[in-house]
Amino acid sequence: MSKLAGWLKNPGVLAAAPASIFLLVGFAGPLLMVLGYSFMPSKTFALNSVPTLENYLSVVSDSYYISFFWSLFLAALTVILLFPICYPIAYGMAKLFGKWANLVTAFVAIPLLISENIRLFGWVLVFLKGGILDGTLQSLLGVSASGLLYTVPAIVLGLVYVYLPFMLFPMVIGISMVPDSLKEAAFDLGASRWQVFREVELPLAMPGILIGAILTFILAMGSLAESKILGGQAVVMIADDIESAFTFAQNWPKGSVLSVMLIALSGLIVFVLFRRIDLDQIIGRR
Amino acid sequence: MGESNSSFLELVGITKKFGDFVAVSEIDLAIREGEFFTLVGPSGSGKTTMIRMLVGMDQPTSGDIRLNGELLNGVPANKRPTCMVFQSLALFPHKSVGENIEFSMKIAGMDPARRRTRANELLQQLRLPLDYYYKGVNQCSGGERQRIALARALAFDPKILFFDEPLSSLDYRLRKTLEKELKDIHRETGKTFVYITHSLEEAMVMSDRIGIMRDGRIVQVGTPNEIYNHPRDKFVAQFMGEVNTIDVDDAGGHEVCSKADGVIYKVHRKPDGFKSGHLIIRPEIMKIGRVASKLPNKLKGVVFNDYALGSRVQYQVRAPNGVNWLVERLQDVPFDGKLNDTVDLGWRPEDSILVKD
Amino acid sequence: MKTAGSSHIARKLIWIWTYAVIVFLYIPMFAVILASFSTQRYFRFPIQSFTTKWYTKTLESLSVRDLLWTSISVAALVTVFSVLLAFFGALAFARYDWKGRKLYQRLVLLPIFFPQAVLGLALLLWFSALGITTSWQTAVFAHMIWIVPIVILIMSIQAYSFDPALEEAAFDLGATRWQVLREVTLPILAPGVISGSIFAFLLSWGNFPLSLFSTGADQTVPEWLYAKMVSGYTPMVPTLGSLTMSGAVLMLLLVYLFWLATGRRRRQAQNSVSSDD
Repeated sequence: MSKLAGWLKNPGVLAAAPASIFLLVGFAGPLLMVLGYSFMPSKTFALNSVPTLENYLSVVSDSYYISFFWSLFLAALTVILLFPICYPIAYGMAKLFGKWANLVTAFVAIPLLISENIRLFGWVLVFLKGGILDGTLQSLLGVSASGLLYTVPAIVLGLVYVYLPFMLFPMVIGISMVPDSLKEAAFDLGASRWQVFREVELPLAMPGILIGAILTFILAMGSLAESKILGGQAVVMIADDIESAFTFAQNWPKGSVLSVMLIALSGLIVFVLFRRIDLDQIIGRR
Repeated sequence: MGESNSSFLELVGITKKFGDFVAVSEIDLAIREGEFFTLVGPSGSGKTTMIRMLVGMDQPTSGDIRLNGELLNGVPANKRPTCMVFQSLALFPHKSVGENIEFSMKIAGMDPARRRTRANELLQQLRLPLDYYYKGVNQCSGGERQRIALARALAFDPKILFFDEPLSSLDYRLRKTLEKELKDIHRETGKTFVYITHSLEEAMVMSDRIGIMRDGRIVQVGTPNEIYNHPRDKFVAQFMGEVNTIDVDDAGGHEVCSKADGVIYKVHRKPDGFKSGHLIIRPEIMKIGRVASKLPNKLKGVVFNDYALGSRVQYQVRAPNGVNWLVERLQDVPFDGKLNDTVDLGWRPEDSILVKD
Repeated sequence: MKTAGSSHIARKLIWIWTYAVIVFLYIPMFAVILASFSTQRYFRFPIQSFTTKWYTKTLESLSVRDLLWTSISVAALVTVFSVLLAFFGALAFARYDWKGRKLYQRLVLLPIFFPQAVLGLALLLWFSALGITTSWQTAVFAHMIWIVPIVILIMSIQAYSFDPALEEAAFDLGATRWQVLREVTLPILAPGVISGSIFAFLLSWGNFPLSLFSTGADQTVPEWLYAKMVSGYTPMVPTLGSLTMSGAVLMLLLVYLFWLATGRRRRQAQNSVSSDD
């Protein structure tokens, strides 16, 4: 018992207590509730029924797997597209830009502080029929560019746009962890530029790249606004289905099941990632 | 140098365990008032653990620490009349030089005018310009930062000043200068200094007495001369640097014989009850060339390497039985041999050191 | 010595690409600002005539004032509470060594790697199970779940470079634990506290997924914008959007200027162990 008392007096434990308790109550608690609800009979609103698996089974029989597929597919596509988009910039910020890197960081970060609704709406204005793109083309070339909105590519654009910083910043940290001396040594030993990239730079930057990729993937997979604002009814993402189940359909257990599955999928990916990465080393360079 | 032999800081049976790992084991030590005492040992020998216990950052698992007879064990670091100069110096980056120095006085509630006066005194004593008072600490050079850290500790007016290897990150020249300055400050202030380092050479320059630590124990305590000329065992003898060591058995009288090839060497004095041990011959007391041929202990060998070390030259000489000897000679001592020559090596029995196993 | 293999052309290309991407990032925001000045009720490009009447309408609208008040209240409370929790949370994350720290680090990061909409809905369940009606106050709680970890991360980056010997030295020089916090810990971590506060405020201010499910009858600006975008479009949407954007940028600018003005000493504090001569 005195061991517990000793542990409680450690300044680290005391400092961690407020945030930990808060997160346990506000994060772990609700999630456990969702888990509980997922085993309740359909359309009930309390946890007092006999547990059942009927909701889990109905996920398969109804066509929710389509939403899951779309979410996974679009998220993966976003990550795949963002990698070549962000890598050169990340490389520049880590190695080339010098004192300008901070300015670039600021410019990329500021949009994050502005509501994504506004930013996505701006794209609507650009791609709308009669909007900026369509209007410009019509007045300059007499060509119409309507029908670009409310399509899958529009959603992908929205996802790529919103999550670019989330892919970029961890990548910057990852690349900055590759010492120049290692690359020079590889050159010295006869490697070509591509080989240096493949054998030295990429593997060593991998922790940062992975964090960026996984963060982007999970956030994109669970996103809602992009598909609704830019895609209309073209695609229904899983978060949309979850929302409908909770609000329209008033079916909390069903919504809970879908949530549990989404969380399980995200959690699995995160769990596998965090095993392999030493956070202290990346964030703290220790 | 303190005249009284009273134990000012006394450690009795100090042991520190971290779980199952014993960092420090049964240390007894008596440090005198006003002396400059240095604990020397390789990394992992426990010296940092020791100093942290003395300052109050850690508590011993068992044993007592007494200052002038009063128990220090449970007293927290901020209530002890001791102060430490940290390895990283730990100067407050957000405060100016003056604010750093005045920190302990401000904490104690001293009024600004008196603090300022005392800070100025310390700046002068530590040979820092008075206008550094407002300067940012990060703009000062390495040597200046050392002095600021020392001034800050002195402002606390501690009974004992502790030093945790503060000079180890400096380059050679700066270190040499600061070692001597530290010794001067010690003399001027008359306070007790307890210093830890891994360099015996550094300790020899500054200390009144040295304690050698190894694997959590104190192996020998003595003045620099005692440590250097009468090391208690092989570890202490070899700690200084490269030495020639021969494992020997007692051969009666003033003689010992080498375990490897039975060669007899003459010694001046044997430790009581000596049966077997090591014969230590420092490179600088060995003679090379014609001078050596007249010495009681001598051998022949081939010069196969030479190193110019500034004021000295070091030779590696290989004896017929394959043993390599290290010999040093001062530049102005005549010697006309060169590489691949066969030369005489020798030493006087009273210059060698004999230690037990 | 420049990295072997990074030719002049490659560097130029990377710069050009970076500029292009940055322009790309700001296109929609300029589009919104542009649309706010168009006279027509429905957006058509090229804009035929410009006006500021929508701005007047927006600034006079009572419902807009309610929205702004809700958003600001939520953001302000989120900021205060988040910074408090996160300050100690960051010390536990990065500075102290204790058993359970690795587990704690993962717990803290989890809400960030998490779909916000699902979190919002889970909290909705939670609130109704506890019998709490959702309002802007529950939104504060909801925002914090996501924002506290982010602020912890931001402050931890600062806390990592904090030399623990500084606190020990202050303690050794006679300070009480409280004095150590006040004289050493807080001042040095101040930049992290400030940037954490800004992030907390602006992230809460612009948040949509969590607000959507936790504000109940109250509404924040992003919620209103979304509702109007989907149905019931009015040019007040780009107007309010522009106003909130300008507010955010103005706030950042003010803080930047303040930081510049007091920057000299604080910039020195970033490197607590500097090089020797």
